[in-house]
Amino acid sequence: MIISWRESWTGRLLLVLLMAVTILPFLSLFVTALHPSGTYPAGFAWPADPQWGNFLRAFEAAKMGELLLSSLLIVLGVVPISVLLSTMAGFAIGHLRVPGGRPVFLLFVLGLTLPFEGVITPLYYQVRDMGLLNTRWAIILPLIGLFMPFSVFWMRAHFVNMPGELSESARMDGANLWQLFRRIHVPLAMPAISSLGILLFLWTWNQFLLAIVLVDDPAERTMSGALGAFQGQWGTDIPLLCAGSLLILAPTLAIFLVFQRHFVKALLQGSLKG
Amino acid sequence: MTPPAPGRPARRRGAGAKTRGWAGWLFVVPALAFYAVFVLRPISLTFQYSLYRWDGIGPSTWAGLANYGKVFTDPALYDSLINAVKLIVFFSAVPVLLGLAIAATIRRIAHTRLAVVARTVLFLPQVIPLVAAGIAWSWLLSSTGAVNQFLSLLGLGGVTRAWLGDLSTALPAVGMIGAWVLLGLCTLLLLAGMSKIDPALYEAARLDGAGAWREFVSITVPSLRQEIAVCVTVTVIAALASFDIIYISTQGGPGNATMVPGLQIYYLAFSEREVGMASALAVVLMLLVIACALPIQWFTKDGKR
Amino acid sequence: MARRLRSGRAGAAMVIAVGTLATACAAPGSDSPQPQATTASPVSAAPTCGTAPITMSGYFETGFPLPKALTAEFAKQHPNVTWNIREDQFAVITQNAPRVLADNPPDLMRVPQVSELVKDNLLKNLDGYARVFGWDRWPASQLEQLRMGPGGRPRGEGSLYAMGLNFSMTGLFYNKKLAEQIGMSAPPATLAELDAVLAKAKDAGITPIVQFNGGATGGLAFPLQDLMAAYGPTGPINDWIFQKPGAGIDTPTNLQAVQHLERWIKAGYFQKDVNAVDYATMMSRFIGGKGLFMFNGDWESGNLDKQLPGDVGFTLMPPARQGGKRAAMSAPLAFGIAANAKNADCAAFFLNWVATDKRAREIGVEVGGSHPMGPADAHLPAVKPGTVTADTLAAGADIARDNGAMDFIANATGAIYAKSWTPQLQKLAAGQQTPQGLLKAVQADYARQIEGN
Repeated sequence: MIISWRESWTGRLLLVLLMAVTILPFLSLFVTALHPSGTYPAGFAWPADPQWGNFLRAFEAAKMGELLLSSLLIVLGVVPISVLLSTMAGFAIGHLRVPGGRPVFLLFVLGLTLPFEGVITPLYYQVRDMGLLNTRWAIILPLIGLFMPFSVFWMRAHFVNMPGELSESARMDGANLWQLFRRIHVPLAMPAISSLGILLFLWTWNQFLLAIVLVDDPAERTMSGALGAFQGQWGTDIPLLCAGSLLILAPTLAIFLVFQRHFVKALLQGSLKG
Repeated sequence: MTPPAPGRPARRRGAGAKTRGWAGWLFVVPALAFYAVFVLRPISLTFQYSLYRWDGIGPSTWAGLANYGKVFTDPALYDSLINAVKLIVFFSAVPVLLGLAIAATIRRIAHTRLAVVARTVLFLPQVIPLVAAGIAWSWLLSSTGAVNQFLSLLGLGGVTRAWLGDLSTALPAVGMIGAWVLLGLCTLLLLAGMSKIDPALYEAARLDGAGAWREFVSITVPSLRQEIAVCVTVTVIAALASFDIIYISTQGGPGNATMVPGLQIYYLAFSEREVGMASALAVVLMLLVIACALPIQWFTKDGKR
Repeated sequence: MARRLRSGRAGAAMVIAVGTLATACAAPGSDSPQPQATTASPVSAAPTCGTAPITMSGYFETGFPLPKALTAEFAKQHPNVTWNIREDQFAVITQNAPRVLADNPPDLMRVPQVSELVKDNLLKNLDGYARVFGWDRWPASQLEQLRMGPGGRPRGEGSLYAMGLNFSMTGLFYNKKLAEQIGMSAPPATLAELDAVLAKAKDAGITPIVQFNGGATGGLAFPLQDLMAAYGPTGPINDWIFQKPGAGIDTPTNLQAVQHLERWIKAGYFQKDVNAVDYATMMSRFIGGKGLFMFNGDWESGNLDKQLPGDVGFTLMPPARQGGKRAAMSAPLAFGIAANAKNADCAAFFLNWVATDKRAREIGVEVGGSHPMGPADAHLPAVKPGTVTADTLAAGADIARDNGAMDFIANATGAIYAKSWTPQLQKLAAGQQTPQGLLKAVQADYARQIEGN
């Protein structure tokens, strides 16, 4: 295939432009974060005297250590349970084809497009009556439920394509249902499971609505919810706010850059299936 | 365990004995339980609340459909629905159309080093919390922000303004933040779809003397039917259910110019304590999302089968 | 199509599933215990915090150091008391108040507009404490705004449901250096003089007024209410705020006030991006010398004395005519005790201590910048002359003499600020609302909200 010179260079130019627009907000946060705290910097300008100390101050002001731990605990609560339960359900619905599996699957599909705002009000009263308000469980338990439609949908899509002969031969060898699942199917499903894990990690980490409604203490919230509180408290101090925002962004960015190939694949597949 | 009858295709429904089938249910029940308690129950409660007048604390009174009546007559409420629909233009139309154009232009260089780097960069907005996007853009779009600085450089000092604080530009400005978040995802999805198109199709078109535009319209777009539908679905839902960006950047202001249903539900339920009205709006929002998402799905499924 | 048929059973299963889930079909709220109306609990002797160790739970506002300074001093004087304090932005407190008071009742809490909280029986009736501590004998105007009729309406009379830590007051802060530049040697004495000064500043290239009006907070309500009080008497404004039957905001003098504000907007006396300026941005601009005037409250006095020592003055809004009565928004920094609070007696003792202890009153002025509550003849610490704090305290005396204290129009109902004043004032600032239309819209929302309660 011959690519004309002109075609190739307009393409490159466009790409570079697009990347510039994508990165601009990050650069702006960064440059602004270096201005003396408490000032009101005008636009996009490198400060005369970069204040690297702002990051340290923001780290302390935002109690980053606590926040990281909190988000981590929430992720550890949500992701493994969601992945396990949805893999099991996807296995039963997609592979075992349990009787009545189809209506149940449709019931899950019903929740695929659900905006969280639609259920946030009753969730508040439900979580309150369970006595879980202002604890991390208030985010963890509902999120597992709310992610279930997508997770089951995702895992079913994987299991639907697994050949039945696989299970037949295992059964011949006398494996029971759990062993069949644990020894044969889970290892085979690892690519689908790890993509799901990445997506759920990202969505949990960035969950905002549940965090601000169900948990008042920023130290018990997700990163995103904590950032909301940080903005409320330090909105007065633009450079500090920018520094804090960057710090709160940093963990996801770092993880993304390390696992970027998995992320891109998972996100692309994720939206295709959803 | 009863072994399946020999020779019977295992994939057929009902294969194996009943015991096997019902045992399989044990695998479904935990997932279903979580889903039922934290999604299905709240959904039905939202329907129930929407029929009452309730401040969230005291006793409630039956209101019938009055709350729904308010949703469609109180300008503060139906304006939020209209704003959400307007946001679709920015959240969906801009990323999908621009994404198509960009993907078509860079299709030929999709395997260069630059394109590989671009893949990572364009994904950044998908990875960060929307709250952070809101903070960064509020600052860029402020009266002394970089956007105005850039416009002044171009000699457009006359149009500079506080984009998020101007009644006529606040909604488009919020929309552009959404477009920024979603453009990368759409571009990459469409690009991935394009890579699956058989190059022979293009060769044949070229031989027939088709120009780039003809090629685009008669080959690229039809082949991307599924990808386009996915982009549209994802972005339309993002527009209708938007909350984070607006909560951070404008809180629905100025003068309700950027009020969207998600934010209105939050305010109604938790600060104005009109739980019934909040729930009615929530029901309308859920139905609106389904009404928008279903036809798109249907449309592609038909095309594929 | 085969699939379609099979899902007939699917439908049935789904209906059953949803049906079982919706079993809790009792009307919402009917299953939770309803808080009972609290009547004045008979208190015979003045309560204390005792001597046994006690942990008080508090819910305070972020960014205001006064309450914490007071609790710290209190703990020093009463070592058996420790405080467990949670802080939030005021907007968050407003949203959370009913939930927190009902579900997790604090002993002492910064309260927003209280009538709806009283209606839901979430706040303790303080009449008993008022009697034994003698709060009844303080100047009545101090506690007027915290008194509520049965069911929360009308406000301004009836039982006491909250207490102030001090009472704050609003007016005009001005930058003395910029004032000098345009030849303003003394604060304007009439509205016409103020207009002239604003015009002069504008001509000199100085932003005449920095004000906030962005996001969810319509700060133009400050100058608007001051203008209302300049054009008309304060009585009807207070009646409207206190939800007296028949009160309206849609009056001829108020219309003149909105028209005056509109003239200021059209003349460019506010910053061009006023609808994008939040409170913090306004403060940083004023401190940065970017504007001559700022409509704000004395809770910033201490801060301004620290940031711009000697460069800031404070004046009350000038009356329309020379020598006319002055008025200002003035409200107690209100704290309430949850109806189900565990340590209500100790909280009441603390509130009394704040108003009567010598050191507490000093903290109230030094840290809070506002006038302490309490008897008219109580100790008032000396303040360095020439400071903003001194100006604001003096202005407080003027207001007391002219009986010009008003509550804030944003406090008329729980939702009136966010739902009505803010969007309407933002539209006015953008030239998309007329003065008459603004008042009509706010009055309509007000009537609807009151009818709803």
